[in-house]
Amino acid sequence: MLLKPKMLSFQSSKNVLSLTEDLLVRIYELLAAESDRKSFRLVCREFRRIDSLTRRHLRVIRIEFLPILLGKYPRLQSLDLSACPRIDDGVVSLLLTRVGPGSNSPSLGHWAWGLKSLVLSRATGLRFSELEMLTRACPCLESVDVSYCCGFGDREAAALSSAVGLRELNMDKCLQLTDVGLAKIAVGCSKLEKLSLKWCMEITDLGIDLLCKKCVDLKYLDVSYLKVTNESLHSIASLLKLEVLGLMACPLIDDVGLQFIERGCPSLKVIDVSRCEGVSSSGLIYVVRGHRNLLELNAGYCLSELSTALLHQMKNLNHLEVIRIDGARISETSFQVISANCKSLVEIGLSKCVGVTNMGIMRLVSACINLRVLNLTCCHSITDTAISAIAYSCRSLVCLKVESCNMITEKGLCQLGSFCLLLEEIDLTDCCGVNDKGLEYLSRCSELSCLKLGLCTNISNKGLSYIGSNCLKIHELDLYRCTGIGDDGLEALSNGCKKLRKLNLSYCNAVSDRGLAYIGRLEELSDLEMRALHKITGVGLEAVAVGCKKLADLDMKHCEKVGDSGFWALAYYSKNLRQINLSYCGISDMALCMVMGNLSRLQEAKLVHLSNSTVEGVELALRACCARIKKVKLFAPLRFMLSSEILEILHARGCIIRWD
Amino acid sequence: MDLKERVCDELQKEVPKGASSTNFNTQHQQKWEDPSSTLDYSTRIEPPFQAFNQTSQTQSLLLCNNQIKVPMQDGSINDLLQASKIQDWDPSAMLNNLSFLEQKIHQLQDLVYLIIARKGQVLGRPDELLVQQQQLVTADLTSIIIQLISTAGSLLSSVKQTLSAATTSLGQCGEFGGVVFPSSAQRLNDGVQPQNAGGSKVSEPPNSIDITSNNGNEQNNHIVEEHELKDEEDAEEGENLLPGTYEILQLEKEEILAPHTHFCTICGKGFKRDANLRMHMRGHGDEYKTPGALAKPTKESSSEPTIIKRYSCPYAGCKRNKDHKKFQPLKTILCVKNHYKRTHCDKSYICSRCNTKKFSVIADLKTHEKHCGKDKWLCSCGTTFSRKDKLFGHITLFQGHTPAIPSDEIKVAPAGTSDGATNKVGSVNFNLSSYVSSESEVQSSSMDIKGGIDDAVGYFSPLSFDTCNFGGFHEFP
Repeated sequence: MLLKPKMLSFQSSKNVLSLTEDLLVRIYELLAAESDRKSFRLVCREFRRIDSLTRRHLRVIRIEFLPILLGKYPRLQSLDLSACPRIDDGVVSLLLTRVGPGSNSPSLGHWAWGLKSLVLSRATGLRFSELEMLTRACPCLESVDVSYCCGFGDREAAALSSAVGLRELNMDKCLQLTDVGLAKIAVGCSKLEKLSLKWCMEITDLGIDLLCKKCVDLKYLDVSYLKVTNESLHSIASLLKLEVLGLMACPLIDDVGLQFIERGCPSLKVIDVSRCEGVSSSGLIYVVRGHRNLLELNAGYCLSELSTALLHQMKNLNHLEVIRIDGARISETSFQVISANCKSLVEIGLSKCVGVTNMGIMRLVSACINLRVLNLTCCHSITDTAISAIAYSCRSLVCLKVESCNMITEKGLCQLGSFCLLLEEIDLTDCCGVNDKGLEYLSRCSELSCLKLGLCTNISNKGLSYIGSNCLKIHELDLYRCTGIGDDGLEALSNGCKKLRKLNLSYCNAVSDRGLAYIGRLEELSDLEMRALHKITGVGLEAVAVGCKKLADLDMKHCEKVGDSGFWALAYYSKNLRQINLSYCGISDMALCMVMGNLSRLQEAKLVHLSNSTVEGVELALRACCARIKKVKLFAPLRFMLSSEILEILHARGCIIRWD
Repeated sequence: MDLKERVCDELQKEVPKGASSTNFNTQHQQKWEDPSSTLDYSTRIEPPFQAFNQTSQTQSLLLCNNQIKVPMQDGSINDLLQASKIQDWDPSAMLNNLSFLEQKIHQLQDLVYLIIARKGQVLGRPDELLVQQQQLVTADLTSIIIQLISTAGSLLSSVKQTLSAATTSLGQCGEFGGVVFPSSAQRLNDGVQPQNAGGSKVSEPPNSIDITSNNGNEQNNHIVEEHELKDEEDAEEGENLLPGTYEILQLEKEEILAPHTHFCTICGKGFKRDANLRMHMRGHGDEYKTPGALAKPTKESSSEPTIIKRYSCPYAGCKRNKDHKKFQPLKTILCVKNHYKRTHCDKSYICSRCNTKKFSVIADLKTHEKHCGKDKWLCSCGTTFSRKDKLFGHITLFQGHTPAIPSDEIKVAPAGTSDGATNKVGSVNFNLSSYVSSESEVQSSSMDIKGGIDDAVGYFSPLSFDTCNFGGFHEFP
């Protein structure tokens, strides 16, 4: 698909232009990857015009370009500002004042009118007054995400409630939100269909009750981690359209409350009661009995045992696609019952389940041949026999998690590599049985995109080279404490896995500057963890900084040999860096100031035990970045050594300081 | 309204049925009083009764004409009335009453003969004695009529129903200078004849019986009404006093607002409590120090049944005013004082803490001050709540209302105004309620039967129906 426009451009320009606009738009819309779209709009001016006309979604990384970008894309429907270091009041008012009459560029005014979706996740700098201006300026707003805006509370909720047409709202971890704010939203946004209130700890039954009475169209409701009681479930049960209900880790909910759910919520499809301490299998029996059409049942870590009574009820769940019963005791016969009745199962989660045996797994997969996701984390008694059975039966397996299943060897991986060619994700963390040979078999799964090999000490560069040469689509690789991995392995990796975005090299002691130079070839790399690489110096870091333009998250704790030259390079080149961990690094005051001040996207920094820097240096660095930093971890004694002024500034701007 | 009309019709239907006894209707008051002043009883004795019957019927017809015509129907109400009649009707008592009436009529007949005879002797001379005799005849007739009504009333008013609201007719009675109405509920219910059979006290029965019989009607109205009115009733007045079974007192505005109610006869100093006055009196001499003088004055007549006192608010149109259609009496003087101050006086006590809430009773202010500032749950409409769940209940109930977010440091002035709005709303609501009640009264008075009674007040001339007159006349024969 990528080639298409390029090939066109090679032909005479007349031919390119002979394609009508709607055809070009169609071609453009078929481009899924952002990089492809980038290539498309670089072809010619006409293509660029198509891009700006057709573009619906915009994820802004640098706030300074936002006004220009908004002017360019008049058809924008979705705006994601979550990656911006800081959306503060000034930005919003700047954007909105340009909208007003008399502005020099009238095209700017259009962006807000068509906007349907707004992502303001982690926009901690925003105040309620600006939020209200923003929501008022966007009359068509249907979806707002203000998750992880920890300072948000009732005022912000009140501001959001002016978006009358709102259908989806995510307020996860808006810690100050109380029933009052929720009531504002419930009354103001009565069309709400999807609402997530995770970690909004102040919400009580009263708020939920009001919500359920006012927003009767709710289809998705997540009240995970809230201190709500069965009363809330009583209210929720009245929601006729509710399909998805998240009750994860609600400590005050018990079986009595689930009885209400049995009789209510006629449209319920998905329920998550995982980590609910009060819920037992009898509570789940109520749920299952009342909802024969349940698609997803998530009951991880709330069952001590998959009881026979529950199993008996589960026989009726013929449509069940996903079941997670992590942490429960399960018998071999239970697997038989599940496989005999729940034939449409797509995902099963058995993480840390006691009693998962080869025989059990074999019985399970004998009928559940549609399984795509299987989580067997910490099922220690699993051996190659079970893996072979899985591989043989479940040909469409996409994700397999067998963390810490020590008995898996290359034989099992051989079966996987032979039959599960659609496998995209495999977690082999802490599987000591995995060796180079095993990786060779595994590398036959060419669709593999996520591979976790942490603590697999038996693999070496050779094994990694198989991956590097065959698994070209890999984008996440975890080599945590794979001490056998060295620079050569990284070379093979960098040659093949060009799409690698996330890499963990922590404690791979053999990696040196040369290895980092190979890493620097990975242009897509955005997330690099390389703790305690004692061999690397500033040269290696410089190579990474120069090469990995997209690097956003860098963890280099305990890389003590890296000198200032590396940090200077980092400050100069890694403009996209968003998170950095410099703890226990030998960074000097100057370099620290440069890094913190120069990296304009930096939002989170961990600056503990900086051996070569002084209090003044840290203070200066904080001053340099205080306008945009959101979260900073500092050495605890500094609390009394830093000036109160800077601490106040940070606090006032919504920055969270963690003292360590 | 429907129900009331139905009852009205029922009652009118009742009239011919109860032919053995007298017709009694709410209109009787005015009817049987009318002839006494206009018709010449000295010439004809029987006819007035007939005329009375006829007029009462026409009157009720008139009444019906004023209202919306409702087809006659035999509903459950009729059944109810019949049933209750059968249940409590005491034939022997009835016979007693009737024979007493017979005697009485004969007496009267004799008297009239006497007058005729004397008329022949002294012709054309307006004699003082003649006037007195005429009045006597009138009085006797009145008592006969009353007796008849009460006899019939024993049939109707025996329906034992719980009634909390007193009726307007009682209010009217109150206007006759606080006439004492004995609590005759028991007597009525037992169907025992009133004590004027023995010729003891004539002063009370005429009024009381009339009123109770009226209340018989009222009662029937209420039986039906109660279903729809229940929630309107004041919880405070949950007692089930039959109307007419208690005495109604009405203090004047000045009396209510007077700071003191007990005054020293020697120095004039005022006291709120009688006990305090007695303590004070000790200073005026040794004669006030005796245990007898200091003791709480006891009810002197323990033999007589204690009369329950209830109070009426002097404010016309108030539900607590005896003239109100749905009159609800006040229990004590303190209730009257508080009610009058709260409802009809300016709110002069302002809470010093919030500077918005006003009260007319100082105790209310003190109660408020205990909680002032705790009403932190505020609705966008301005209503405050001391409890969050109450606020949320309110928001659930009212479309578009949202909780107001308390503004701490940002807007001080708006907070003040919103509080002001709160207060306004509160007072507006209050006013509204009082308006509503008066309005409904106005409406209903033009529409339902009790409105008719209200009008009847006008016909009631206290002159011709004074208790003193009766008392004086009774001594006469």
